[in-house]
Amino acid sequence: MSLTELIYAGSNAVAGLTEGAVKDAIEKHGEGHVVGFPDTAYFLPVIYAATGVKIKKLGDLPAAVAILKSLITNKDDLGDALNAGLATAVGAEIIEALRYVEGDPYADDSGIGFVPDPVIRSLGVPLVTGDIPGIAVLLGESADPASLAAIVKDYQEKGLLTFMVGNIIEQAQASGVKMGLDYRVIPLGHEVTSVIHVVSVAIRAALIFGAVEPGKLGDFLTYTKERVPAFINTFGPLDEVVVSVGAGAIALGFPVIADTVVPEVAGALMTQADHAKTVETSLEARSIKIKVTKIDVPVSVASAFEGERVRKDT
Amino acid sequence: MSNELLKSDVTAEALIAKAQRDGVETMWDRKAAQKTQCGFGEAGVCCRICAMGPCRVSPVPGKGAERGICGANAGTIVARNFVRMIAGGASAHSDHARDIVHAMHLASAEGPFKIRDEAKMRRIAAEWGIEAADTKETYALAHELAEMALEEFGKPFGTQRFLTRAPQQRQDIWKRERMEPRAIDQEITTIMHSTHIGCASDIDSLLNRGMRASLGDGWGGSMIGTEFSDILYGTPKACASESNLGVIDAEMVNIVLHGHDPNLAEVVVVASKNPELLELAKSLGAKGINVVGMCCTGNEVTMRHGIKIAGNFYQQELAIITGAIEAVIVDVQCIFPALPALAKKYHTHFVSTSQKAKIAGDMYIEFSESDALNCAYGIVKTAVENFANRDASKVEIPNFKEPTIAGYSVETIIDHLDKVVNSQLEDKLGTVKPLSDVIYAGVIRGAAGVVGCNNPKTEHDLGHVTVIKELIKRDVIVVVTGCAAQAAAKVGLLTLEAKELCGRGLKEVCERVNIPPVLHMGSCVDCSRILDLVSRVAVEKGVDICDLPVVGSAPEWMSEKAVSIASYVVASGINTYLGIIPQVLGSVEFTELLNEGVRANVGAVYVFEKDPLVAVEKMMVDIEEKRTALGI
Repeated sequence: MSLTELIYAGSNAVAGLTEGAVKDAIEKHGEGHVVGFPDTAYFLPVIYAATGVKIKKLGDLPAAVAILKSLITNKDDLGDALNAGLATAVGAEIIEALRYVEGDPYADDSGIGFVPDPVIRSLGVPLVTGDIPGIAVLLGESADPASLAAIVKDYQEKGLLTFMVGNIIEQAQASGVKMGLDYRVIPLGHEVTSVIHVVSVAIRAALIFGAVEPGKLGDFLTYTKERVPAFINTFGPLDEVVVSVGAGAIALGFPVIADTVVPEVAGALMTQADHAKTVETSLEARSIKIKVTKIDVPVSVASAFEGERVRKDT
Repeated sequence: MSNELLKSDVTAEALIAKAQRDGVETMWDRKAAQKTQCGFGEAGVCCRICAMGPCRVSPVPGKGAERGICGANAGTIVARNFVRMIAGGASAHSDHARDIVHAMHLASAEGPFKIRDEAKMRRIAAEWGIEAADTKETYALAHELAEMALEEFGKPFGTQRFLTRAPQQRQDIWKRERMEPRAIDQEITTIMHSTHIGCASDIDSLLNRGMRASLGDGWGGSMIGTEFSDILYGTPKACASESNLGVIDAEMVNIVLHGHDPNLAEVVVVASKNPELLELAKSLGAKGINVVGMCCTGNEVTMRHGIKIAGNFYQQELAIITGAIEAVIVDVQCIFPALPALAKKYHTHFVSTSQKAKIAGDMYIEFSESDALNCAYGIVKTAVENFANRDASKVEIPNFKEPTIAGYSVETIIDHLDKVVNSQLEDKLGTVKPLSDVIYAGVIRGAAGVVGCNNPKTEHDLGHVTVIKELIKRDVIVVVTGCAAQAAAKVGLLTLEAKELCGRGLKEVCERVNIPPVLHMGSCVDCSRILDLVSRVAVEKGVDICDLPVVGSAPEWMSEKAVSIASYVVASGINTYLGIIPQVLGSVEFTELLNEGVRANVGAVYVFEKDPLVAVEKMMVDIEEKRTALGI
């Protein structure tokens, strides 16, 4: 299958799931039932940013589904394929929002799910000053947990903010990676749709710090491309939905570095099978330059460890 | 008067009106004087290769005379005429190349012919198997390599050395079809032999031999011309220039360089910077010396020195009609014999310089490579002195020009591609992988080479510009050479800003690689650069050229050289779209052979389509079919 066909397959699958989920939710709860994320002023942030539409109740969703379906043209054209990637993002946001209808779906998950506004505001200053030089989004399940953990620790030492989606969360934890906002390693969730919560971070950064006007999608894409230094690392084989999510990332200006063979596009989508080189490849792909003064001490030193609490061994 | 063939040219209307006021004749007057052109010649069924003729047979099967006196039918006559056009074109390119190689044979450290890209020379010497290519003394190696290149024109055994640049699959096809060109001159001679009265009459065989001669041009003469010009004059790098008649400067001595051979043009550019001549120009009231280019010699100096582009083929008369040209300096090919008479109506000196193209009617100053600088000095001095004769009241320069970026040799394109290669990946630098990757990923749908001339059978530049604009809109990257490149330059397509006219994918590529969507790759011999580039992509992906989503296009072709170029492009496996229908329609069989039959031999065909918009639609279907077949 060609790359565009893969993207469309994923986007169509997500569109179908979204449509079904919206229908089911309305049948169950009625059109007037409230839908949204906790602790945010931006409704469903991706949809709000892209269209200016404020989704407040389930009855608002079918129109959003119609918009996302209109974004999937199935035409062999890069611009259209990237739009289909954005449609997947919209679908993922709706699916995630519906999961919140019946309480916090992440209560029993190691992931945190939706990232509330105050967290984004607290990250704003270090992002602007370059104290956080980049945002790494890690996705999937690694064939080699030790090298995965090394990658996460490397990002941590370099001060990057790392978001994780999928079984890599447990894999990294088992290999001794400490997680939490204070450590700048944030587990989002296990469903691929939970990756939307990091997209939502980038989008709200544009809303909050870039003061981009809701509805001006082009301006958002320019802001994220130029101002949000994010990139994606995928681990393990890619399915169509992940490829489609990747297209959404590329539309936002974020390069995707996979550890499996993909149709490569210099600077946007590439294969780096060697995990020892994943970090450098990713930083170069996103033009993130880090000046590191290595202090030769027997522990890791980085601003990411500033919030660390020291406890007695029990 | 407005000429309908010139509707899309912003400079034309005023200058045509001026021509009428000045009482001078242009190509459009002569086109009109031809009235309806002969239908037999147009269909290719007129033969005058022996004194029993001229014969003409009916272009309609089963009606009228079906055979000439010797018995040749329409198919034979059309095929012979067509392959003789190939021979004419291949000979022009090849003789051009021979002069370049001769200049290289004369090269010395003292100049004026120097080795300016030594690395490239050593690379080609190694490619051709010269021992110690990396250590031999520069000029010893240059002379050895030049001698070897001269052998390519007339060697008694073997085939063209550059053929090995093609993917193996393509080389195998050429071997199977017995199409591997041997010595360049031999292939041209053998066509003249086969098309003599009473020789070949089989249309498949005639076309096969024509294609072999054309391959001797593309992978022989033209490729040698390009590569050795780069060695002598430097490999082009991206450089800024300007295009259209507005580059003629009312306050300077204006010299138009027109023709093809960079040997002359390069030394004229040097002479135009001579302080004595600049002083002379100033003493006559000029601000300086403004050398501008036209047609392919213009392209050569634009690619290497950013010399401004005055215009393309059909504008050669318009330039003189501005009244501001002190001298038109020409060498060979595509120079209207009408120019001397036109120049005499103004103060312009028309200077022909080549023994091979002595053009009667004005000045002839023979250019000799052995005394190149003195020659050029003399010619430029003549031009400067002529500034005194300019009649300011007759000067009218159209105020139209566009910024232009040229200089995209294969080497420069690869340099740009290197900038997007992630240094942590296995990918090596110096390859076309980023280009082949974006084609395979579908970021861009394919690539097109748009080349060729101007032709008064169609509105000037409209075909070029329409095809190019429509292709980039559909995410097809376009490379251009010759007068097609200059047409693109004049409407601002050769700029970084032109990315705004592209589809999303091509725009992304232009931004990331920092290139215009339309890449000026040089003169007509530099079509060989396109062969080189496409071959590298095919080799990179392990496929044949005919598998790639790539098309060739000559929307407004005119010359025999264009027939040779189209033929070697088809024979190299690239479907080629001709906006002017060649003189072959008098034979249904031969037309069918070009449009379909030859696919079985070389995996590509000639497509005839006059309407540029329809042509683009056909190209897109072609490109998408190739993509589907590749599974991309």
